[in-house]
Amino acid sequence: MKDFILYVALALIAFWYLSFSAGRLDRLHHRVETSWATLDSLLQRRAAIALDVARSAITDPATSLLLTASAYHARSADIEDRSSAESVLSGALGMMLAERESIVAQSDQVLLHELDQLTDKIRVAISIHVESVTRTQLIRSKLVFRLFRLAGTAPLPVIYEFEADAI
Amino acid sequence: MMDRKLRIGIVCPYSWDVPGGVQNHIRDLAEFLIHNGHHVEVLAPATESEDLPDYVVSAGRSVSIPYNGAVARVLFGVVANSRVRSWINEGNFDLLHLHEPAIPSLSLLACWAGEGPMIGTFHAAAKYQKAIVAIGPILEPVIEKLSARIAVSESARLTLTAHLETDAIVIPNGIYADNYRDGTSRPEWQGNTIGFLGRFEEDRKGLPVLLDALPIISRFIPDIRVLIAGPGDSEEVLERVDPQLRNRVEFLGKISEEDKADFLASVSLYIAPNTGGESFGIILAEAMAGGAAVVASDIPAFADVLGDGKYGALFESENSENLAKVIIDLLRDERKRKELAAAGAVHAQRFDWSQVGEEIFEVYQLAIVKGQKVSLTSENRSWTRLLGRD
Repeated sequence: MKDFILYVALALIAFWYLSFSAGRLDRLHHRVETSWATLDSLLQRRAAIALDVARSAITDPATSLLLTASAYHARSADIEDRSSAESVLSGALGMMLAERESIVAQSDQVLLHELDQLTDKIRVAISIHVESVTRTQLIRSKLVFRLFRLAGTAPLPVIYEFEADAI
Repeated sequence: MMDRKLRIGIVCPYSWDVPGGVQNHIRDLAEFLIHNGHHVEVLAPATESEDLPDYVVSAGRSVSIPYNGAVARVLFGVVANSRVRSWINEGNFDLLHLHEPAIPSLSLLACWAGEGPMIGTFHAAAKYQKAIVAIGPILEPVIEKLSARIAVSESARLTLTAHLETDAIVIPNGIYADNYRDGTSRPEWQGNTIGFLGRFEEDRKGLPVLLDALPIISRFIPDIRVLIAGPGDSEEVLERVDPQLRNRVEFLGKISEEDKADFLASVSLYIAPNTGGESFGIILAEAMAGGAAVVASDIPAFADVLGDGKYGALFESENSENLAKVIIDLLRDERKRKELAAAGAVHAQRFDWSQVGEEIFEVYQLAIVKGQKVSLTSENRSWTRLLGRD
């Protein structure tokens, strides 16, 4: 009888621990989703601004071609290729911004200012997203989580390469 | 960029009654947010009767516990826990901002109880400690609920990564730089004067290091004067000074904010010889904003603020001879001193609330999900239902 109670207690604790862990992982997946949604919308806005810049009088035809191509590519890339596509866009924008002293028109300045603000936000959003992804991957690699398949059918989150030198 | 007005709940871990860096930071942050039209509530331990600003909600009286080598006045326990829970439940917040959520405090309780957009700010910079690593497995499930983490300095960030294996965005503490910019230089504080500000009786503020350097300095610069501003008992400190040098040391007592600006504008050098235990060198940012040339010990928090010596001179912490050498060199070289002060004054703008507040708010915006409010966690809800306390 004593043994029986002990086993039941152990089973209950194990059950509680598993359900707690599953809840914890679920929350992490949720965090990854929201941080990705935030980052994604910022990147979409950046691509839109890049297209605006490409159409404006700021850029020469060659730069404008490069910007348009990389912005379209970044928008249509799927999640695995996204970070490399966005890096290409960062590079193209960087090339354009390297000559920003020669840009004088007021309307162009507004566009560039918006781009600067967006870049700051993207940098923060990337670091938030990277943190939540690595944390989730770390937890999912633990034995208990793999053994009991606590992640269910949720796909393993994809890391976004942090381009520290982006623009 | 501040289009939508938010309901923001900030949790302060330390008692509101005692002054401190974290409390000041929270007060300024709350006032910055309120100034921008947001609704802010600060939950803090406080004695009920005293005059609190109307945005502060008291969670009860704090207790003193030894933690991390210092005495912290914090609050936790069953009663505090239910206060935190009802505050979150009734607050209808868009976002919670928890300060120092990794120490036993209201912030940890709030992090445990809440779900939704939550930000944590980590202030402490400590050496690697096994004790914190040991409690890691308990803290991790709690800390990982935070949507984003902010560290107030690079050293606070390293402390966080070393102990809890998680990364953070670095946003420094803020100052109102304008308050210090227009100080007038007063004749009685000019000359070969070096200034010290703070609670000088505490050894970790480093006044003994400075006083030990005094005999060496006075040999090279006989008209040196040490001006000490701050609350404390001056008699006791003077006993440690060579009687012949006692007339070189002046105590100004506790000074007002306006006097502080004048003080910083007047002294030739501002000295911060702190030996450790600082999470951030807010006083250095203020001194730079006030136009003083700064000399500080090379503890990590100070080296961060001074850009590793670019915006103020550093000396080897607790080494009086090294301090004396740095002071003598700078007092003899007016051009270098002016350059240092000018570089510092520009750099100080980086710590102004207009910049720091905007950066913090940007993190808020990234953490907030449309239509989602902060609520009690589902786990907690099922527990309370089970216990019939809903």
